[in-house]
Amino acid sequence: MKSKECVAMILAGGQGSRLGILTKDVAKPAVPFGGKYRIIDFPLSNCTHSGITTVGVLTQYQPLELNTYIGNGQPWDLDRNDGGVYVLPPYVSAEKGEWYKGTANAIYQNISFISRFDPEYVVILSGDHIYKMDYSKMIKAHKKANAVATIAVIEVPWDEASRFGIMNTDEDMNIVEFEEKPANPKSNLASMGVYVFNWKQLREYLINDENDPDSDNDFGKNIIPQMLADGNKMLAYRFDGYWKDVGTIQSLWEANMNLLSDNPGYLLDDENWRIFSRNPAMPPHYLSPESRVKNCYITEGCEIMGDVQNSVIFEGVTVEEGAVIRDSVIFPCAHIKKGAVVTKAMIGSNSVIGEKAEIGAMGEDAVNDFLNTKICSDGITLIAPEISVADGVKIGACSMVTETVNA
Amino acid sequence: MENNNTMGLIFSGNPEVNLGELMKVRSLAAVPVGGRYRIIDFMLSNMVNSGIVNVGITTGYKHRSLSDHLGSGKAWDMARKQNGLFILSPPEGLEFATRPTEGVDFIDSAMSYLQRSRQEYVMLSDCNTICNIDFDEVIKFHFEKEADITVVCTEVGELTPKELGKHIMLECEDDGRVTDIQVYPKKQNSKLSYMHIFFIKKDFLIDLVGECLSHDRHSISRDILLANVDKRRIFGYKFDGYRKKIDSIKSFYQFNLELLDSGVRHEVFGVDETRSIHTKVKDSVPTKYGRDAEVKNSFVADGCCIEGTVENSIIFRGVKIGKNSVVKNSIVMQNSRIMDDCWVENAIFDKEVILCNGKKLVGQTTYPLCIGKRTIV
Repeated sequence: MKSKECVAMILAGGQGSRLGILTKDVAKPAVPFGGKYRIIDFPLSNCTHSGITTVGVLTQYQPLELNTYIGNGQPWDLDRNDGGVYVLPPYVSAEKGEWYKGTANAIYQNISFISRFDPEYVVILSGDHIYKMDYSKMIKAHKKANAVATIAVIEVPWDEASRFGIMNTDEDMNIVEFEEKPANPKSNLASMGVYVFNWKQLREYLINDENDPDSDNDFGKNIIPQMLADGNKMLAYRFDGYWKDVGTIQSLWEANMNLLSDNPGYLLDDENWRIFSRNPAMPPHYLSPESRVKNCYITEGCEIMGDVQNSVIFEGVTVEEGAVIRDSVIFPCAHIKKGAVVTKAMIGSNSVIGEKAEIGAMGEDAVNDFLNTKICSDGITLIAPEISVADGVKIGACSMVTETVNA
Repeated sequence: MENNNTMGLIFSGNPEVNLGELMKVRSLAAVPVGGRYRIIDFMLSNMVNSGIVNVGITTGYKHRSLSDHLGSGKAWDMARKQNGLFILSPPEGLEFATRPTEGVDFIDSAMSYLQRSRQEYVMLSDCNTICNIDFDEVIKFHFEKEADITVVCTEVGELTPKELGKHIMLECEDDGRVTDIQVYPKKQNSKLSYMHIFFIKKDFLIDLVGECLSHDRHSISRDILLANVDKRRIFGYKFDGYRKKIDSIKSFYQFNLELLDSGVRHEVFGVDETRSIHTKVKDSVPTKYGRDAEVKNSFVADGCCIEGTVENSIIFRGVKIGKNSVVKNSIVMQNSRIMDDCWVENAIFDKEVILCNGKKLVGQTTYPLCIGKRTIV
């Protein structure tokens, strides 16, 4: 095995339970985003563009869809003779076998994988953020500062800082303190979950952490604080671009809607930093003479006969005559029948919304059996993948519909 | 299942076709069509969808654009260790006069590829007839009829003398046995037109090509098919689906606009039969429609940004149409840019054309205006 300067490991095992029914059968990184992408397309494409061509993807929860999606890595140019993308599920060895207990344990269990490439640096990424970032610049800063670890940080609004892992730094951006979700934050620099480590040192810390029975085996809770406590040089690397955690239904909906704003904060259509994805072979989309489409993102294979505004429409979606869609995200191959009204909703893949059905209804006659304000905050309605809502049924706003609804 | 005993040979050129401006910079097979495709994609996908996974494509001397498009054949799942896609460049170092120009010469130039391949049968086809055809059916028919050659044909209506001059007409018995072939006849005696696709045993083809060349004969239709009508069992397989031969700017324009018909669109792209047409992937973003966009009856690929009005048009990947601009009955190819306050009607824009603010371009429905690649108006 030829040695590599840098290996990236993407933590993609999370269930993402706050995405409700969307992650019932798929892991969070495989959740669709932005009309034709999956969340994992972002870190994978970032790796390719940053020149990191050896990537391990750590899967655990519902891996089937994610594994088939990644396949041999060809859509991201990661089908390499030397390196490339590897899907790394937990496994059983002669001594023992166990699930990934935490983020640090997941990397610990793959020490032998990383060591095969004998890298200088390891980049740890999470598979649930939307952002475009050149990791090579971060590695350069890491090298220049002679740090043991470098953590990417982004400025967040002060009133939101207590929701994040916050880095307190000195004037040279050296991290002096790390606080997980502090009640009274001293800084508004939040960790983005993007780390660069010297592999030699990280390896030792992972082994020591594993030997500590009281540890949660987590980077944020254990590894980073321990490294700080030991006085290692740890650098905060400031990132200025767009970065969005899409861990909740509300943030996922917002991130999709951000694409429609005049200034989405980042350029999805950037020739030099394309987000690659596995493209289905579908023809261009068709807008009929009756259709009305304004302020939308629409992709291939759609047939739009209805009225669609402020919405993101994934591939293969059909919107029949007289259907009205507003402020919604329609996942692949969903079918919205004649006269249906969909307002501020997310419709799962392959689901069918019957004629004159209403999703996100506010009226007295709306069905409120599926109300779930814990998952569906901010008035968003969520329809599971692969189900149908019968003709004429009105589903109340803030519902999470998990099964087929008959008339 | 893969069809391990049949290979394919597609002719990327056709000396009888002229698409004017569109073929100045590329071969016929590489002409963009249908929003995100090239002409070659249809026949190549037909072969792959029918399990024919060893396909050679003959090329002329203007093959850069085609080679760029096909690459290793990955997009068609044809980048393989065994079989796969072979781009058969024209033989090097030939004097201009001896370069292949006709069908038989092109087969001859692919001779070593044919001989080296393991398959016993060959499906040969022109690239410029757009259809979604299941070659399995053709092959089945061939063996059922114990044919020596099976030609694919389609029923046509009454043709004008001018149209007739572009057709090869077949006369068939009820069981499909071809009894006569009329190449570009003056008078219409039959309703079956040859689709420039035939199936044949490889060794037999090699013999026929050798025989033709030793007699200085070069035409597939005359010297391979017609010459053997009486001697061999030639059968006509009737294809009933949608098909369109692209052989002029007019038919090119018509085909694109016919895609606005959902029946045609679903059939050509094999939406219901999952016989998809594959093409090179560009990873474009979805198309963004602005707040003032007015789009009706149009076929739009990914990566566009549309703020104006579009009607009855085919819009390729990465096209930008500015505010207050109107595009009607037009075909706008990849990365062209129509800025603000423009009016475009009955036009074909090749790739990367820029139409500056306030310009007006209007062609005729019967004779669309064709703007060459990278023109700035």
